[in-house]
Amino acid sequence: MQEKNRGLGLFTLLVFLFLLGPLLIISVTSFEGGNILKFPPEELSLRWYENIFHVEMFLVAFKTSILVSLGGNLLALLLGVPAAYALSRVEFKGKSVINAVFVSPILVPGIVLGFAFLRYIVGTYQLPIYAALFVGHTVIMLPFIIRVISSSLSNFDFSIEEAAESLGASKLGTFFTVVLPNIKSGILAAVMIAFLESFNNVDISVYMTGPGVSTFPIQMLTYVENYFDPTISAISVLLMFITAFFMFMVERLMGLSYFTKR
Amino acid sequence: MKKRYLYLLLLPGLLFLTVFMIIPIFLTIGTTFINDHGFSIQGYLDFFKDRYFVEILLTTLRVSLFTTILCILLGFPAAYYISKLKQRKKAIMLLLTIFPLLTSPVVRSFSWMVIIGKNGVVNKVLLSIGLIEKPLDILYTPTAIIIGLVHLFLPLIIVTLVGVMENIETDLLKAAESLGASRLAVFSKVVIPLSVPGLVIGSILVFVGSFTAYTTPALLGGKQRVISTFLYQNAITLNEWQVASIVATIMIAVTVLIISIMNGLAKKLNPKG
Amino acid sequence: MALFTLQDISVAYNKQNILKDFNLEIEKGKLVSLLGPSGCGKTTTLRLIAGFLKANEGKFLFKDKDYTKVPVNKRNFGFVFQNYALFPHLSIFDNIAFGLRLRKNSKAEIEKKVMNVLEIVNLKGFEKRYPQELSGGQKQRVAIARALVIEPDILLFDEPLSNLDANLRVNMRVEIRRIQQELGITTVYVSHDQEECFSISDQVAIMNKGVIEQLSDPATIYKYPETKFVADFIGFKNFIDFDERTDTGGKIELSKSGYSFVLDKDARMFNHAGKIGAIRPDDLLIREKGDAGAVQENSLSGRVKVSTYLGRSYQYVVETPIGDFIVNKEMTESYRMGQEIILEIPRNQMVLVD
Ligand SMILES: Nc1ncnc2c1ncn2[C@@H]1O[C@H](COP(=O)(O)OP(=O)(O)OP(=O)(O)O)[C@@H](O)[C@H]1O
Ligand SMILES: [Mg+2]
Repeated sequence: MQEKNRGLGLFTLLVFLFLLGPLLIISVTSFEGGNILKFPPEELSLRWYENIFHVEMFLVAFKTSILVSLGGNLLALLLGVPAAYALSRVEFKGKSVINAVFVSPILVPGIVLGFAFLRYIVGTYQLPIYAALFVGHTVIMLPFIIRVISSSLSNFDFSIEEAAESLGASKLGTFFTVVLPNIKSGILAAVMIAFLESFNNVDISVYMTGPGVSTFPIQMLTYVENYFDPTISAISVLLMFITAFFMFMVERLMGLSYFTKR
Repeated sequence: MKKRYLYLLLLPGLLFLTVFMIIPIFLTIGTTFINDHGFSIQGYLDFFKDRYFVEILLTTLRVSLFTTILCILLGFPAAYYISKLKQRKKAIMLLLTIFPLLTSPVVRSFSWMVIIGKNGVVNKVLLSIGLIEKPLDILYTPTAIIIGLVHLFLPLIIVTLVGVMENIETDLLKAAESLGASRLAVFSKVVIPLSVPGLVIGSILVFVGSFTAYTTPALLGGKQRVISTFLYQNAITLNEWQVASIVATIMIAVTVLIISIMNGLAKKLNPKG
Repeated sequence: MALFTLQDISVAYNKQNILKDFNLEIEKGKLVSLLGPSGCGKTTTLRLIAGFLKANEGKFLFKDKDYTKVPVNKRNFGFVFQNYALFPHLSIFDNIAFGLRLRKNSKAEIEKKVMNVLEIVNLKGFEKRYPQELSGGQKQRVAIARALVIEPDILLFDEPLSNLDANLRVNMRVEIRRIQQELGITTVYVSHDQEECFSISDQVAIMNKGVIEQLSDPATIYKYPETKFVADFIGFKNFIDFDERTDTGGKIELSKSGYSFVLDKDARMFNHAGKIGAIRPDDLLIREKGDAGAVQENSLSGRVKVSTYLGRSYQYVVETPIGDFIVNKEMTESYRMGQEIILEIPRNQMVLVD
């Protein structure tokens, strides 16, 4: 970049300050020594990090979130991998409709989806809250699973499937010995992206709280409404570490283009 | 060749989505058109007569519009700058953009509470340099919501635009320059028109996202309701399921409307398809 | 006795017949190639034999057993793909061992067989590499080894050499033939390179629009095509649609628009009722008008209409009262454009086709 673009460069710098500044600020406030959240902190300590582990509701909610996100992920994989595989193998008239159905959970506003879940999955179907959370999270993860895995299947050369069959492998055997190993990075990326999507979800989980059941982000919201101490800052820092780790993993598995392609 | 088993593989996913999403959504929509006497749109008529609700709807639309415009104004130049960077730098900048995108919206909105709150960073700085005498009330206003939403969606539009701008060939820009276009002219006559598809998609994502966002207005809006918090309030606090269903249907309708208008627009503007 | 037989097979895509009433018998140990223009159904036939494709009608018999419904993975036929189709996530060793593992061979057996087949395809020392680290020719040899190692009853090749450069193609086809003969393995080979098919095959099947027009050994096809399509496909560019044909004694008399021709009857053509004469551009003779050696028999007066320089030879289009002929001549024998000449069709060079 030459000198003539300095103005644009400065502008971009300010934009990034706006984007990353707030995250930096709460990271700093997490090291507060006092009782009140403020910036800059008066004295430095790690006591709020410690505090996270003393707040029972965070521990329980964290467990719930992990279980729901991982379990939902597994179910979404079981439903999504076969579907993505089939969609990449066949052409038929209504295919675009089927595709649309599979991505529709992204298009319907989350807060509406959550309400419909509450009214019908919890209400009419009478599923317990825990099960409803699990089902709801599966629904929102499914489009991500299908999208990412479809894109990695689109680079897959299907003649190697025939090669495996001609060598004596059954259809199922072929899938496990030949297809799966070749799309495993796509699957891993799909799992991570779907996990983040589910773990951070508020719109659906916010409807599904019950006695002793609530996901981690919802517990954070509740906490913020009642206390204004640096515990949330400390949690935020931990979450950002997890996010960064997932981001680098996805970048290695799929490349940056996963994020820039629409 | 018979590949029937492949269709069978679609079935579990479709069945699952049908039972757990499509039916609930259609029932939600369906019930709003039914009252004791059968089909009726009375619910909607009552609704749009209610000043309070109309106010909320308009505020939400206004907030979304401002958010979208701000995202474009801030995001477009930044995306252009990033797209022109060398590979390594570009990758770093993109990762820095993607990082907030993936970070929990609770964390991101919470960070603004620390900044624009009564005792927040902004007020402290302004007070200490004597620019203001008493703290500004930014938190819990529509402005706070807009700030939070811009922060939420700016990365999305930047990333989308970089994706599109990367595909504009550098030779095209050089050609325009060689034909006598100034750098500003190159930007307005070549870069902007060619980025329109990305801009349209990005704007849809931002507008629809802002229109339906819950976490940010819930944390930064205080008593200021937007349509999503209004829906939640009716569903959970007030137990007004009929009202909530109507709000939900309106949200779906607006979303579908915006997506189809913008899609049509994008097709027109982008002859390549 | 035939090792396998395709009986009245029909295959259709989207209600359109690709193969119809298709019949083919192949004997044990033979290499038969399918040759024909693009889209004529070669790959379809091969995929049908392999079992990737099910016929709408007809039967597939293998060793006199009905194999029509036997799935691919139970057939024990090796398939070599045009794009190699090696497993990218497996080493060369594991690629080749893939079929053996499914057949529950012991570890020692696998090791022995893989090494043995690597030796056959001249790839010893490559077993630890991955497909991405091989050249096109090496990949193709791995693909062949992978298909060979399961000791298949039939080996199927679909244009295995078309992604290779010209030199390598020649080497590889010699290699394929050598391996095939050494192991005596029944092989069906698809290609649309004529020279390739002729040079390695015991028999060549010329296909056209889903039908085999002729199945013979290469020399027979080359000399005695049976149909106009086959004749045209292998380079008989000139055709005379005769009005009349009379077989008398050792001769065949033919006439076209009042011009008469005589052919020597030859054992093969004896059975043939065809009335279309076919002759290669190389086999026609041109004589100058008034040339002392000119014979009257089988001759037409003509005029050089077009002359094209082909590098080592000239190609002429000669206009005659019964139509235009394409004639190739050595550099030493050249004619002017517009020159009046005599065109002679040598008695023994023309064949009669349907
Ligand atoms: N999956 C398919 N769906 C519909 N039509 C097909 C399909 N596969 C092949 N065909 C048609 O069947 C015909 C025969 O195809 P085939 O692949 O057997 O030709 P080929 O002789 O191998 O040609 P080439 O030399 O180009 O490989 C073609 O007309 C082709 O268009
Ligand atoms: Mg073919």
